[in-house]
Amino acid sequence: MRTGISELASKLRKREISAVELTKTYIDAIEKLNPTLNAYVHLTFDTALKAAEKADQMLKEGDAPLLCGIPMALKDNICTDGLLTTCCSKILEGFKPYYDATVWEKLKAQGAVLMGKTNMDEFAMGSTSETSCYGAPLNPINTAYVTGGSSGGSAAVVCADLAVYSLGSDTGGSIRQPASFCGVIGLKPTYGAVSRYGLIAYGSSLDQIGPVTSSVKDAAIVFDAIKGGDKRDQTSVDYDYGDSLAERLDRDIKGMRIGVAEEFFDGINPEIKYKIMEAIALFEKNGAIIENIRLPALKIALPVYYIIACAEASSNLGRYDGIRYGYRASSYTSIEDMIVKTRSEGFGDEVKRRIMLGTYVLSSGYYDAYYKKACLIREEINREFDAVFEKCDALIAPTAPNTAFPLNHKVTSPVEIYLSDICTVPVNIAGIPAISIPCGKDSKGLPIGMQIIGKKFDEATVLQMAYFYEQNSGIDVGVYEGGARA
Amino acid sequence: MAVSKTEIEKLAKLAKLSFSDEELERFTAEFDAIIAFADTINQSIEGGTEQIRSIGARMVPFETLRPDEVVPSLPSDKILSNVEGYNGFFGLERSKK
Repeated sequence: MRTGISELASKLRKREISAVELTKTYIDAIEKLNPTLNAYVHLTFDTALKAAEKADQMLKEGDAPLLCGIPMALKDNICTDGLLTTCCSKILEGFKPYYDATVWEKLKAQGAVLMGKTNMDEFAMGSTSETSCYGAPLNPINTAYVTGGSSGGSAAVVCADLAVYSLGSDTGGSIRQPASFCGVIGLKPTYGAVSRYGLIAYGSSLDQIGPVTSSVKDAAIVFDAIKGGDKRDQTSVDYDYGDSLAERLDRDIKGMRIGVAEEFFDGINPEIKYKIMEAIALFEKNGAIIENIRLPALKIALPVYYIIACAEASSNLGRYDGIRYGYRASSYTSIEDMIVKTRSEGFGDEVKRRIMLGTYVLSSGYYDAYYKKACLIREEINREFDAVFEKCDALIAPTAPNTAFPLNHKVTSPVEIYLSDICTVPVNIAGIPAISIPCGKDSKGLPIGMQIIGKKFDEATVLQMAYFYEQNSGIDVGVYEGGARA
Repeated sequence: MAVSKTEIEKLAKLAKLSFSDEELERFTAEFDAIIAFADTINQSIEGGTEQIRSIGARMVPFETLRPDEVVPSLPSDKILSNVEGYNGFFGLERSKK
């Protein structure tokens, strides 16, 4: 088992290791593995060493926060003052924000040490991280396979122990699905639980930042540190979670009601279904009550998600005009021509597809048939979840219908890739929290992820169930050969 | 529903994108599959679509909105620090000779 954040923090406090020494260990591991894995796209070693020196000073003065001196990583769509933030898109080439995202501001205040920005699908649009303008990150479990996406780099750096933890963003499964593919833990918090200020927008009513970690306790520690309302994000909520969630992970699951919806298992790889059923049996054996439930609207959740997310994306990405950010076309005949050429040369194919779909569903004549209808069905999905949570404490489902795809997996249509989000998007549509936790491997040795889904702002139950499973299943992220803690 | 090349060109104009002939061919074919996928929201779900149609979007009463107050914002020189060659104005290539 890897040394967790609490144990590392304890070693730093006892001066068994300094933050600078720990950071250098991570630099060595990154220099060794990142050229192959391509998990980081911008390295920040200079600022990391300075942050580590500052952390050592904070530790020396005493009363340092838990995350002080701990090396970590951020997805390349989270703004960092003065450091490259490109969303892995040519159109944001060279872009250095002039402010910090709230999540980074909070972690920086705790003395966090940022090792770099992680690879991702361009503008978080994709399920394999292969749409990155820097090329795909490779799955550390087997480098012939993708990491998943869009937070593929954030999952890979944690899997290969090139960061103790990372932050990703999840619009339709972008934290949970790569966590599942790379065999680590990924938490998508309740919509509004974590400020989105400084997160480059994709689908604003769906986007949420969350942690990727190698243990459930670490996920709780990082969530404790980043959650909270923010007046700069009017959709954030200052919800009172009570005491630290990381201190409340132990809970007797006896009598807990767990819902299992058959709609989540439609078309799922049988090996994955088997492992999830095994996990459900473990909960039942320990006293949980399993409820078979129905969520009929889930079968159309996927197109609802793509309509809403792409509609919002087509508006959010309207700002990339070649004037204020990054890339600009080199030759043009008018301002209009400059904007069109900049966007056509700067965006990749998947981003263009989603802008086009969003423009289509919002255009006159199609608005009612697609966007308005999708918004109405979204309400129906919310109502179904509300009804289910009247009688269940949480739900269990697969995280993805498949394990990691081989790299450069050929598809006949982009829709084939969209289908891999089928188990995760309902959670974003409903704005509820969910975690992905490893629950075994398939016959190819690729990790399988289990999703635990909770009520709005009930991350406590989600984390407690995941912790129970982690402690009782014998499945552990483990040490990575060549990683910093190996 | 099949989408024509003309419609794709019209959409591209709205989205401020352009496609070469070869890209247009490919995009039109891909877009057909994507629209067919989006059309699946029109399939019936248990409980019936009538029930869905009856759900109104939640309206937020005007009185519950926060007051519209001017608050300090980021300084404009910082906001525009990524604009190449910004000197109080945006410099672009001359387009009319």
